[in-house]
Amino acid sequence: MFLERRSIKQLKKELASSPMDTLLTIVIISLFTWVVSKSIHWILFVADWEVITHNIPLYLFGSYPKEQLWRPLSWITILSALTIVTLIGGKKIARKKFLPLIWLSMIPIGIVFIAGGLGIYPVPSRYWGGITLTLLLTIFSAVLSLPIGIILAFGRRSELKFLRFISKTYIDVIRAMPLIAVLFFGQLLIPLFLPVGLEINRVLRAVFAFAIFTGAYVAEDIRGGLQAIPPTQQEAALALGLSSRQTLQIIILPQALMTALPALTNQAIGLLQNTSLMAILGLVELLGISRSLLANPSFIGKYLEVYSWLAIVYWIICTCMALLSRQIEQSLSTSSINNI
Amino acid sequence: MRNHNNFIKQLIIGIIVIFILSILINNLTVNLIRTDMGLSFKWLLQPSGFAVSESTVPFKPSDSYAWALFNGWLNSLKVIVCGLAIATLLGIIAGTSRFNSNLLVRFIARTYVALVRQIPLLIQLLFWYFVAFLSLSENPLKIINGILEISNQGVYLFGLNLSLEFSALLLGLSVFTGASISEVVRGGLNSVPKGQWEAFRSIGLSEGDGMRKIVLPQALPAILPGLTSQYLNLAKNSTLAIAIGYSDIYAISDTTITQTGRAIEGFIILLISFIIVNLIITNSMELITSFLVKDTGK
Amino acid sequence: MEIAIKAKDIVKSYDKANLALDNVSLNVFTGEVLVIMGPSGSGKSTLIRTFNGLESIDRGRLEILGLHLDENQDEKQIRKIRRRVGMVFQQFNLFPHLTILENITIAPIKVQKRSSIESEITAKELLKQMGIYEQINKYPNQLSGGQQQRVAIARALALKPEIMLFDEPTSALDPERVKEVLDAIRNLANKGMTMVVVTHEIDFAKEVADRVVFMDEGKIVETSSPQNFFSNATEERSRRFLNQMM
Repeated sequence: MFLERRSIKQLKKELASSPMDTLLTIVIISLFTWVVSKSIHWILFVADWEVITHNIPLYLFGSYPKEQLWRPLSWITILSALTIVTLIGGKKIARKKFLPLIWLSMIPIGIVFIAGGLGIYPVPSRYWGGITLTLLLTIFSAVLSLPIGIILAFGRRSELKFLRFISKTYIDVIRAMPLIAVLFFGQLLIPLFLPVGLEINRVLRAVFAFAIFTGAYVAEDIRGGLQAIPPTQQEAALALGLSSRQTLQIIILPQALMTALPALTNQAIGLLQNTSLMAILGLVELLGISRSLLANPSFIGKYLEVYSWLAIVYWIICTCMALLSRQIEQSLSTSSINNI
Repeated sequence: MRNHNNFIKQLIIGIIVIFILSILINNLTVNLIRTDMGLSFKWLLQPSGFAVSESTVPFKPSDSYAWALFNGWLNSLKVIVCGLAIATLLGIIAGTSRFNSNLLVRFIARTYVALVRQIPLLIQLLFWYFVAFLSLSENPLKIINGILEISNQGVYLFGLNLSLEFSALLLGLSVFTGASISEVVRGGLNSVPKGQWEAFRSIGLSEGDGMRKIVLPQALPAILPGLTSQYLNLAKNSTLAIAIGYSDIYAISDTTITQTGRAIEGFIILLISFIIVNLIITNSMELITSFLVKDTGK
Repeated sequence: MEIAIKAKDIVKSYDKANLALDNVSLNVFTGEVLVIMGPSGSGKSTLIRTFNGLESIDRGRLEILGLHLDENQDEKQIRKIRRRVGMVFQQFNLFPHLTILENITIAPIKVQKRSSIESEITAKELLKQMGIYEQINKYPNQLSGGQQQRVAIARALALKPEIMLFDEPTSALDPERVKEVLDAIRNLANKGMTMVVVTHEIDFAKEVADRVVFMDEGKIVETSSPQNFFSNATEERSRRFLNQMM
């Protein structure tokens, strides 16, 4: 908005169209200057950033074993590199079909890198933490919630009454619950519903709970996408002799997902923000590790520094995700669907 | 033929669902028997034995769990209702500001949304509580003498003493939800044809009057559904109270479950109390919608 | 002459009060171009859509290329029919998320299980015939209505159908785009394709149709040669309709 070129005349109209307007402009500018100068002064001279600078590895990886740090580090590096390439590469790259595949492959790579296995030294989940754990929770839950959402969305519009009923009940009940409750009971109840002897770790329980929760919201987004597809699309596909399943797979679902993409990426951003709730339930993801640092006597009372830092980190990640999604949306909209 | 097929499909799906459910329930019973706990709600009437930092109705540790939970539910309701009002106000101000003729006003409204929506609510709540309120001095900061005074002991407003926890939660929820509501309002205002703006300007109405009397009423049908879902979000988000020690329904359920070990019963009670809150919100919004939108002829 | 489509006493209703199709019987011969005309709501679209099972029937019997259909929707039978009967819609109904080429090759690959190379060769050939070969890698919304409709025709032809159904193929087009689509259909007719065309284009019907069927209120009112129908229609309703159209 500020980058657009404006003539002086235009600026005068935008800032001082009347005496009241002029006064408003002056008040805002002086307030703004005051806030900015105060903040800069605080950041440079008052704040004690040791609580951040001394603990960067903790914020990034939690208490992951030192000699194994290269594993989460390389995973995060690949992730950031991929983000940058996708953002900067523009339409040329976004059109390439292998890009989504690479993004998808980040999941198995992440699992192997962080948890170990396949000949790599295993690291138990209690050592996972920091941004690594935040991203891990977000990506795994997001990927798991998508199929749940798709199944529920189709269930809700199935011609089978019973299926419709189950799907609708699931969606409505979950959407009525606060997330923290779903997570809390996920930790408590998931073990109760499993056979005796089968135990899954807390991170995995959290991932399931997030997926159960987010799936209900994803279902509604996909349902919206499905509703946006004219019924004539199905007719045209059937008239070509495609079977109902082929019609669903090749014609209906891709279009629904594309239409729902903006809503889905918002869900993903929400999911990332929501992973912070696991701090209340004892995981040491980004917020959790910060809280444990604040409890450390040498950093006591550094609330402002820590929370400002966290706000900035989350803000950057979320804004990047928002930009990424806009990038993908644009590359899709040139190709197709948004102007039916 | 078709109906016949459907029936068989329903039957198969029904059997699968029942099969999965029965495995889950079987596991549950095995686990409950193992830990020596059947399903029961009798414990609700036992004395809770814990103190509650904030109570809307009189409460002492010898009162029952049921009473404690009810108290928490009222506490939730209190912060939700106040939050709705403030968030709506903030949202309308920020949303309409996006259409202000002053460049800087638009800029601030945009920054507010871009900032608040991309930072987790929980961090914002902790920020308000630990940074904005707890770091205040003991001597009240008299913003308006005798009407609004703030100290690290609490907030004094119009003769009411509000706890710090309540104030921080209320502020955090309102600021967060206000940003989302402002987007709803902006979307609604965008749905009003541009001709309407030109029309009220051409008959000499001021920008403010035009917004309040002409544009906003027409945008209402588009705004209200989005508003309802934001209200529901605010209600659900109010459960983050537990992070800053406000005794809402979730925090008290949490304590109750930790003490009694009654996770499933606690889950059911929490679910029901939230369904009630949701029903209150959706029904009041329907009432408001029918009241506000009926005379536009739609 | 061989019969391609045989409809006997077809009854179809959407609600209890009105019959969309009221005891319709009709034969379409192999190699024939049959044009169906009639006011909107007369049941002509419903009728043509029963010919490939997009519309179920309540009573009566259909025989399409020797395959029987009745009120029991036999999915397998319908799919067999659809493989041999192509359809072009009023609103084109191209798949917006697929390129022009993919739109055309998807059915041959997925339905007839032909190789993608073979399907692409056929598709390119068809696009050349339709005069839109340059658009091959574009997406539907980058094309004009007339071009999209020609893609839709190519898409239907890619399955090498024995019958083509056209449901008001030019009604959604700008007037200046109508001709290019009609030309494409005319070419098909000249090659001897069996076709059923629902249209309001009188000049087209006069020139291309072997027979014209006039429908009103779910019934076939009149069946005759185009010469007879357009110069001296026997039925009062047909004449009234033609007066409005011309």
